[in-house]
Amino acid sequence: MNINVRILTKSVAQQYAFKRIVTFSTKPTQQAAAAAVPQQQEVTGPTVRKPIVPAHYRFVYPEFLPDPKVEWRNAVREKLERLDMIDRRRQIELPEFYVGSILAVTSSDPHAAGKTSRFVGICIHRERCGLRARFILRNVIDHQGIEVVYELYDPTIQKVEVLRLEKRLDDSLFYLRDALPEFSTFDENMEAEPLEEGAPVPINDIKVVLRPRPWLERWERQNLLGVANIEQYIKDKHRKSAEKVQKPWEKYDLMKQYRATIPEEEQKEIFAEVHTELHTLELQRKRNKRKRTFVKPKHLA
Amino acid sequence: MNQADVSKLMSQLRIAVRPTKRNLKNPDGPEGRLLKLRKTVTALVKHERIELYYNRADEARGYAELLISNAIRHGDRHKATMELADYWLLEKQLVHKLFKVLVPRYENSNVSYTRMFKAPRDYPGMYYRKSVLELRGNPYPVLTPDNSQNRNLLHNVLLDEARKEFRREKLANLANKLAAETENATASTTATPAQAPVTETQTEQSKQAEEAPKA
Repeated sequence: MNINVRILTKSVAQQYAFKRIVTFSTKPTQQAAAAAVPQQQEVTGPTVRKPIVPAHYRFVYPEFLPDPKVEWRNAVREKLERLDMIDRRRQIELPEFYVGSILAVTSSDPHAAGKTSRFVGICIHRERCGLRARFILRNVIDHQGIEVVYELYDPTIQKVEVLRLEKRLDDSLFYLRDALPEFSTFDENMEAEPLEEGAPVPINDIKVVLRPRPWLERWERQNLLGVANIEQYIKDKHRKSAEKVQKPWEKYDLMKQYRATIPEEEQKEIFAEVHTELHTLELQRKRNKRKRTFVKPKHLA
Repeated sequence: MNQADVSKLMSQLRIAVRPTKRNLKNPDGPEGRLLKLRKTVTALVKHERIELYYNRADEARGYAELLISNAIRHGDRHKATMELADYWLLEKQLVHKLFKVLVPRYENSNVSYTRMFKAPRDYPGMYYRKSVLELRGNPYPVLTPDNSQNRNLLHNVLLDEARKEFRREKLANLANKLAAETENATASTTATPAQAPVTETQTEQSKQAEEAPKA
C-alpha cells in the first residue's frame, strides 16, 4: 500500500512536469491524479546520494569559497589556490574561529626578542578569500588599543590558538574601536577554554557600551545588535538621516544576494574536492590534542 | 578579493547571469527599480507570456527564476519564502498559483523555468530592443518553428537511410526464403514421381498457400 502510494505520487509529479496546464486552477491535483491512475510504472530515478560534506563547512572554511565577483573568477587559479591552502594547512594547524572569538597568534618577527611575537586579541573582522584570507585582532595593551592584521595563510605565522571559541551578534566588530576599552581588553596570559566536542558554537550576546561622539563611523546607521547605548548619544537629526539611508528592500533583492553568494551546487563541488583532506587534518588534530593532554613531569634538579 | 556571503544558500540559475545589474532608469532609485521588476514578475506569473523591452525582461527573468527556485527549495511552510512571494507578487492570488501550480510543474525540471526570445521592434518607433518572456510549459502555441521534421537534418537523413536499409534487408530475406522453398518443392517432386496423386495435390496446395502471403 505504502509503495503504491509512493508510485502514485511519483507518477503524479512526473505527469505534472510535462503536462501543459491549460487553465489556471489552484486545485489541479485531483484531475491529474485521476489521469495518472492507469499508467502505474515503477520509475527508477537516479539514486540520491547523501552528501558527504557537512553543511557547516561553509561557515568553518569560508575562505575556500571564491570571490563571487564574476570578472575575477578563474577556475584554474581558484583550484591551485585551494591546493596551496591545503598544503599550508598540512604544515600548521589553522583552527575554526569566527568574528568574536579570542585568538592568540604567534608569528615570526625579526625585531622581537627571540624572533617571535605572540599577540592575543579578539577577532573583529574576517575578509578576503583564498590565499589572501585575513583577519584583524584587537586588544588594549597599556591603555592603548592595538590592532594587528594577520593573513591566515601567511608563512610567517607559526601558531594560531583559539582561546575562546564564540560568536557575537554582529558580522564585524569595528565598533569596539569606539567602545569603552574594557570591552576589548583581554589578558595576554589567558588560558584556552576548550569547548565540548560537537557542541554548537556559543553566541555571546554581550552589549558593548560606546563612548561619546565623535565616532569613527556612523554606528547609528548600521543596525548593530551588539551595542547598548547608541540612543544615548544621537540627536533627532541623526535619527532622521539614519532612517533615510536604510534599505529595507535589499532583503528582497534576490539577484543582489545571488551575485554576492556562491550557488549551492558550486559550493558542494568545491567542498567535495577538499573535504577528504580537511577531514583527515581534523582527525589528526584531534588525535594530537588527546596526546597533548598528558604532560610529562619535568625532571628538575 | 571579497569573501562570499555564506549566510544564504541559493540554487544555481540555469540562465546566463550578467555580472552587474541594470539600473533601469528610475527616479525612485533602487526601490523604484524593484517596483518595476515586481510588476513585470507579477505579470509573468499571471499571463505566463509577456512582450516587453529586452533590458527589463532580462532583469526580471533572474528574479522570476530565483523566486520559483526558492519556492521549490523551501516550500510554502517557510516563512521567509512566503514573505518573498508576498513582496514579489503584487496580486496575492498569484501566491497560490506559485506554490500550487508552478512548483509542481517545475519540481523535476532540470532546465530553466523561463524562456526569453528576441522580438522584432516596430518601425518606425522606439529603438529599444524588444523581447518575449515566458514561463516554460505555458498553454500558448510555441513560438519557435518545429524543425524536427526537416528532411535535411542529420538525424532525419540517418533515419531515412536506416529505414531504406531495413526494407532492403527484409526484401532480400523474403527472396531467399522463396528461392529455397521453390528448390525444395522441385527436389521433392523429382525425388518421388511415382507417388499417389493425392500427395501431388497436397504439394500444390501447400505451394499456393506459400504464394498467398507474397501476393
